[in-house]
Amino acid sequence: MSERVLQILIEAFPKILIPCLKVTIPLTICSFLLGLILALFLALVQIADMKGLKQFARFYIWIFRGTPLLVQLFIVFFGLPSLGIMLDAFPSAVIAFSLNLAAYNAEVIRSAILAVPEGQTEAALMVGLSYPQLMARIVLPQAGKIAFPPLFNSLIGLTKDTSLASNITLIEMFSVAQQVAARYYEPFALYCEAAVIYLLICTLLTWLQAFVEKKMTCEKPVQVEE
Amino acid sequence: MLEVRNVHKSFDHNEVLKGVDFKVDKGEVIAVLGSSGSGKTTLLRCISFLEHADQGEIIFDDFQKDITKVTKKEIRKLRMKMGFVFQGYHLFRNKTVLENVMIGQTVARKIPYAQAKQTALEMLEKVGMLNRAGYYPDQLSGGQQQRVAIARAMATNPEVILFDEPTSALDPELTGEVLDVMKKLAAEGTTMVVVTHEMGFAQEVANHVVYMEDGVVVEEGTSKEIFTNPKQEQTRRFLRRLLPDYDYSI
Repeated sequence: MSERVLQILIEAFPKILIPCLKVTIPLTICSFLLGLILALFLALVQIADMKGLKQFARFYIWIFRGTPLLVQLFIVFFGLPSLGIMLDAFPSAVIAFSLNLAAYNAEVIRSAILAVPEGQTEAALMVGLSYPQLMARIVLPQAGKIAFPPLFNSLIGLTKDTSLASNITLIEMFSVAQQVAARYYEPFALYCEAAVIYLLICTLLTWLQAFVEKKMTCEKPVQVEE
Repeated sequence: MLEVRNVHKSFDHNEVLKGVDFKVDKGEVIAVLGSSGSGKTTLLRCISFLEHADQGEIIFDDFQKDITKVTKKEIRKLRMKMGFVFQGYHLFRNKTVLENVMIGQTVARKIPYAQAKQTALEMLEKVGMLNRAGYYPDQLSGGQQQRVAIARAMATNPEVILFDEPTSALDPELTGEVLDVMKKLAAEGTTMVVVTHEMGFAQEVANHVVYMEDGVVVEEGTSKEIFTNPKQEQTRRFLRRLLPDYDYSI
């Protein structure tokens, strides 16, 4: 690697990292949390077999899993203004990402709930718990553990998918990398640098996942005072 | 105290209960016998509304209603007066032994924590699981889990405890510890309905035996009557098959 390229990489590093910290990461966190809440709702109305809402959830999932994320981003940012709804790039991205993610994660959460043995639900009913009580205290805590790895999967996926938001004028990490690459005319080195930063974030997330999973599995007997 | 009349239940086109009458009085220990597929588990599940009967009537103390018309609220009220012990234990895996035994009191019945804990510890003592109070279900053997499940069922002070083949999922060497606990409860006057294959338990502990076959109650009577002098040929055949050295002619 020539000294010039090295110099460019070092100079470009903070330029790419700053929008990563300021935009990419907040965008990921906001979209993931909103998507998760919506996903939980979509899963619960299906599990509880709520008339109308269940059909809505199936329809929703059908739509959002069946259309490309990039197209959804374009519809929210470029399409909605023609209906009189004008949104900035950041909220547009949050909306599109969280709506899309909710469709996938709803299925993850639904299958995790179904994986909790039904006998425990029956046992909970027989000790007198109501349906919301047994969901909150027995089923969801166990489903959460089961859903954790695939949910983390989608978080890691989302982290990288946020680069699609560069297409709707959002100044995030990848769009900055594009600008820098164009200015220095070193696309190979600079795009690789951007890739490495994504890789670093995802590596941290992988570690975090392993750490939390370990915490969740080692259940030692609790000391009980009489 | 608890009675069902003319209970019918079908799964698809398979009629599992064909008009069953069943009654348990306070302090009784009833063993429900019958080969698999006779409908005894389904009967227990219909009584506790884990299955919804197609037809019938339920009477519990001063409550009496068409079993198909009982509302969700009423079901919850009725369940509050029952305990249920499952074949597969079904302990809450995310809760410790103590929490398993407490949750029916603290969450469902809003009993203060300290009082609930004391009751729970007493129950665990009774089933010999006090030294495992802080363990999680996965850290226990099947027999231990079932004993905790019995403590959980008792902790809410139910009027009747329904046992659905409580020892069928256990290794033979572990059934003894569970049966011992059940014997103890029976001796204390707990009202129990036990669906079981344990002939010894039915013979020794139950004071009333119900024999079911093919979705109907074929015969019922005191344990002594059924085991020494069964009137129906079907009952005799069943007993002969399960008790090889059984000779009903004596």
